Amino acid sequence: MNVLDLARTQFAVTGSLHFLFVVLTLGLAPLVAIMQTRHVITGRPVFERMTRFWGQIYVINYALGVFTGLVMEFQFGLTWSGLSHYAGDVFGAPLAIETLVAFFLESTFLGLWIFGWNRLPKKLHLACIWLVTLTAYASAFWIMVANSFLQHPAGTVQRGDHLALTDFGALLTNPSLVMAFPHVIGAGLFTGSFVIIGASAYHLFRRTADQEFFRRSLRTGVVWGFVGATLAVGFGYAQFGFVNDIQPNKFETPVTDTALVTMMTIGQLVHFVVMFGMLPLLIRDVLARSRWLHPLLMLMTPLPFVAAIMGWLAREIGRQPWVVFGRLRVADAISPGLTTGMVTFSFIAFAGVLGLLALVDYLLIARAVRRGPERVALGAAEPADPAPAPALAL
Amino acid sequence: MEIIWLAVLAVLLVGYFALEGFDIGVGMTLPWLARAGERAGEPGTRARHRDRLVAAIAPYVLANEVWLVALAGTLFGAFPALEGTVLSGMYPVVVALLVSWILRDAGLWFRRRLDGDTWRGFWDAVLCAGSWGLALSWGVALASLVRGLPAQPFDLVGLLYGAVVAAAFAFHARSFVAWRLSGRAEAARTGRRLLLTAVVAALPAAVPMAALASSLLDHTASPATLNVLSVMALPVTPILVGAQVWVWRTFGPLGSTGVAARIPSFF
Repeated sequence: MNVLDLARTQFAVTGSLHFLFVVLTLGLAPLVAIMQTRHVITGRPVFERMTRFWGQIYVINYALGVFTGLVMEFQFGLTWSGLSHYAGDVFGAPLAIETLVAFFLESTFLGLWIFGWNRLPKKLHLACIWLVTLTAYASAFWIMVANSFLQHPAGTVQRGDHLALTDFGALLTNPSLVMAFPHVIGAGLFTGSFVIIGASAYHLFRRTADQEFFRRSLRTGVVWGFVGATLAVGFGYAQFGFVNDIQPNKFETPVTDTALVTMMTIGQLVHFVVMFGMLPLLIRDVLARSRWLHPLLMLMTPLPFVAAIMGWLAREIGRQPWVVFGRLRVADAISPGLTTGMVTFSFIAFAGVLGLLALVDYLLIARAVRRGPERVALGAAEPADPAPAPALAL
Repeated sequence: MEIIWLAVLAVLLVGYFALEGFDIGVGMTLPWLARAGERAGEPGTRARHRDRLVAAIAPYVLANEVWLVALAGTLFGAFPALEGTVLSGMYPVVVALLVSWILRDAGLWFRRRLDGDTWRGFWDAVLCAGSWGLALSWGVALASLVRGLPAQPFDLVGLLYGAVVAAAFAFHARSFVAWRLSGRAEAARTGRRLLLTAVVAALPAAVPMAALASSLLDHTASPATLNVLSVMALPVTPILVGAQVWVWRTFGPLGSTGVAARIPSFF
């Protein structure tokens, strides 16, 4: 592989890893916030237990979203400095706004939420998770603004050797953005719900102690899974009109066509199953009682992840050979002076470290699911029987 | 407008050193601080001392490390021509810094996810190594920036400056731990000392920043872009500051035996 192929592969691998974790973060954050809201309103302990259990899954997953996100943020400057030289005046703005206005607050509020259990007043603590959700969505929005600019450089004009920003509003109403953003939000809810459904099915199937807890969780998962799948499928179809206008040949290569068809097949099939199968079976908890169906529900858990990655592959490979569609080629965006050795070194470092950590993270999530809601570290209160004071031992 | 965004960049860099400095410092000196606690006759095994030290920094880390994310974002948004040149010009240094950062964070996030001292000991070692990597790469990066991006940044000067950064962070970390684990009676005194060491930790970044300030001004984004950034980001500044203040108001000195010290930490 030459430098360009290596740098592209590095970006594709770290970007795909990033989205695998981010898509679950985007889905679980609002669902955990809803569970905690129900706890604060009703005061019922089951909702607090749900908040802590699913919240723990959410934060374990969150860690890898951050690790991979750090590499994504710096990679533009590391390997694609041609992009910042040509389009930095435009592309840099949404990314800067994302870090300052969205992620800065998301990280700060998440710290308050994780470590503020049993310390912050209940309602302020609840406000933290809603602020985390809100800023996570804002973050997704600004990243999509930046990505949509690469798909369709609206609101810009070429001045000399670089692009100048002439109409910021056009960046925000980019046809490549307006349907894709709700599509991503739907995909997130879809993914988060299916993790909840799969994990609940596991406990229902194994007949572990917390049947009531997981019956309720399953219901939440199915209802929001329906909302998410509907949004994802609906706004997915709504994109075709725009895409035909701005990138007419996008899905005509074998790779993009396969990726698109895979995503659409999963989306439609699962949407159909949720709407006509799972949703009606919520009546009288038939789904929770039908033990023979639970292995099927568990097997469906990876599907939204596969669909999400396929969707990105279709969107990004369909942009090739351009980094800024119609304006700047990927080959012209690579940083000058990079050698094969440098990029091989960084690719092995990033992919190796992040790949291993991702594997560990998924094993930790699986273990947290298996352990169930009894022994959750997140929000654990002071031990009822504190260790005896050392002074007495002397 | 250029001056405002230069100030934002400077505040983020210096603030990152003053805040994240103690997190990195505690990670670097974790084995030594734990041993010191043991020698001082405090109860618990060495592993439990490490738990207490990590629990001391835990609630601040997410709010502190994000200053660097914001710094990189600001560099891209307000100084785009510089961003590509600087990051790709220090390619191996930036890769080392990122890998160290990821490993440090992985140590924090993973150390308590399984029971058992072997698991926790392993991730504590990763946390320690990552923290050293962060401090040293920062030193190498700053020395490289001041010298105009030399081809071989990992030379004696770079590593010496890395040692300076590491020493400043370790110094800051000691005073942070003293403050966080102090009781109400000593909080005022240790708090004043913490402010002082924050200045010490910030100096290794503040000096190069001051030296580079005027040349940075020549590389800002176009006025139109800076206007957009200002309209979008500056009105939110009070919320950013407020959120950070909220963290510091929520998590104060723990004392070593108080109720707060007994709430298990997530990290």
